[in-house]
Amino acid sequence: MTATALLELEGLTIALKGVDQPIVDNVGFTLARGETLCIVGESGCGKSLTSLALMGLLQTPPLTVTRGMARFAGEDLLAMPAARLRQIRGGRMAMIFQEPMTSLNPGLRIGEQIAESVRRHKGVGQAEARARALEMLRRVRIPAPEKRLDEYPHQLSGGMRQRAMIAMALANDPELLIADEPTTALDVTIQAQILKLMKSLQQETGAAMVLITHDLGVVAEMADKVAVMYGGRIIETGTAEQVFTDPQHPYTIGLMSSMPSLGARSGRLVTVPGTVPQPTAMPPGCRFSTRCPFATGACATVPPLTDLGAGHRVACAHAPLTATEAPAMRSTGT
Amino acid sequence: MTAILSTRGLRKDFVTAKPLFGEATVVQAVAGVSLDIAAGETFAIVGESGCGKSTLARLLLRLIDPTAGEVWYKGEDLASLPPARLRALRRDLQFIFQDPFSSLNPQMSVGALIEEPMRVHSIGTRTERRAKVADLLTRVGLRPEHADRYPHEFSGGQRQRIGIARALASGPTVLIGDEPVSALDVSIQAQVVNLLEDLKDDFGLTLVIIAHDLAVIRHMADRVAVMYLGEVVECAPAGDLYAHPLHPYAEALLAAIPVASYGARPARTMVEGDPPNPIAPPPGCKFHPRCPYATDICRVERPVLADMGGGRTVACHRATELSLQGLADLEQARTPAARGRFALYAQAMADKTAHNRPE
Repeated sequence: MTATALLELEGLTIALKGVDQPIVDNVGFTLARGETLCIVGESGCGKSLTSLALMGLLQTPPLTVTRGMARFAGEDLLAMPAARLRQIRGGRMAMIFQEPMTSLNPGLRIGEQIAESVRRHKGVGQAEARARALEMLRRVRIPAPEKRLDEYPHQLSGGMRQRAMIAMALANDPELLIADEPTTALDVTIQAQILKLMKSLQQETGAAMVLITHDLGVVAEMADKVAVMYGGRIIETGTAEQVFTDPQHPYTIGLMSSMPSLGARSGRLVTVPGTVPQPTAMPPGCRFSTRCPFATGACATVPPLTDLGAGHRVACAHAPLTATEAPAMRSTGT
Repeated sequence: MTAILSTRGLRKDFVTAKPLFGEATVVQAVAGVSLDIAAGETFAIVGESGCGKSTLARLLLRLIDPTAGEVWYKGEDLASLPPARLRALRRDLQFIFQDPFSSLNPQMSVGALIEEPMRVHSIGTRTERRAKVADLLTRVGLRPEHADRYPHEFSGGQRQRIGIARALASGPTVLIGDEPVSALDVSIQAQVVNLLEDLKDDFGLTLVIIAHDLAVIRHMADRVAVMYLGEVVECAPAGDLYAHPLHPYAEALLAAIPVASYGARPARTMVEGDPPNPIAPPPGCKFHPRCPYATDICRVERPVLADMGGGRTVACHRATELSLQGLADLEQARTPAARGRFALYAQAMADKTAHNRPE
């Protein structure tokens, strides 16, 4: 995109042993400093695999990155040696996971965990690292941070644990933050607190963020840019405004129609029929074609992600869908 | 309103094991709940983790025994019924669990799972039961031949359909769902929500839905009870509650929803911090430490549910003087072309489902 891109992902393709078709197929995006990209999709769409691949945390085997490049400030994350990746991960690139209880070490005090990461990446002494840990707990607004520093993860509530995770992730002033469903396990009032916190910390530090979520509400709240994934591919991407006010792909439309409205009640929900095919049973061509009400013969070839203008890109043979074409399509489709 | 299911002063205490030193701690998971659920309505119970909503759901069917209080169904108090009579009544009262992966016995075929409630209640002959299983499978959007398969062969959404078919097998009048769609993906969730609403109409059911997703509740429920630390703090018709909440906690819940409309409004954090420890709830109103409107009386005196008219009750000292904010119109603004596409999609889906039901 621009010269200021912090992260450029190109053609990321991930294969699963025993499955012919790639389970993440040709995924790419660019991210500038200070920007938030939300990757949204349902279970099995490949959103988490994409983020794990970026962090070099894919379980290999059975998974392998067969193609792709992830240029992070000039270096390819997918090709660099493990030792170099370890230097970047936790330092210039940090992660927040869904379940802080499984990502925090249960046997280490909160303060020690944060300080350890600071010592490792900043090369500072014990006392300085501890001071930094305290400062971070204060910044994520954990009450009584001096006391929490010496507590273990199990002594904290879910929301406080997620704050501690964020404190740890941000302790080394990362340029890129990858957050995989960071608020999914939390109650709605706690979720609102954490999202607000992530937003304000991001504004302070200017970090770029890749936020993986299944919740369109979180997307609307947080995203500058959106990538909608289905069956391992990005099927629609653009600015949040483009994707929400002018969605183009039938899956995006179906997903948005499936969301119950908070306004006055309006009869039955419009759904997406059927279920996502198993990875071994993905149709050739457009992977949404088995569930799409507009599918025709044209959908048997893989639709390219095509720019409809101003960077709003859609992978659908029928985009832009208009009223004049659609009735004809419907009759051929059934 | 004719209540089909009522509770009076329902309470459930959980007592921890006595530690080496000191006393065992007591958690009042449900701390005196009185509700009337009308025949044929969809009644929702919402609240955050630990508010006691799941415990309350289990008490409604007496899946667990209450510490005190009554549960009235058709003139009988479930809380004090002898086991045999209770078992017979369970024919009428059925439960749908949240997790379709752990609530179905993996060693039983789908047919056997759905038939089991009928066998337990001695309903029909074996042939009649088999026919009923096939019928139920079709009703929930599966196929009769699925009866011979096992739960692991199905996706989460399909398993939830199996759970629903099983719940319907004994011909219940009341169906209680504890987060019945929370574990499902959005598109599958919408299918199951539609299914539950269709079944409710077809079988004349009363639905009690426990959930934390306020959008699902808004869509499904006629009336909503909001729980906080074991107590109902507000109970109201869904539309009224969402437009004009009367309890500050209800307002905070609504404010915190991330709305799936770009540019609609940012979620607001009306409350900071976590809910207090239920082992030692604060004195006075349990919500007062987090309440932005709390005054002196809230810190000392516990408010009781008061009738506010219009079928609404609220437990807040300041309910009449506060003017709280609900959800305004939050529909996504869309380009005319996009609105056209949504209409096309809805039409295409309607045509498709008309041609080959079930979806």
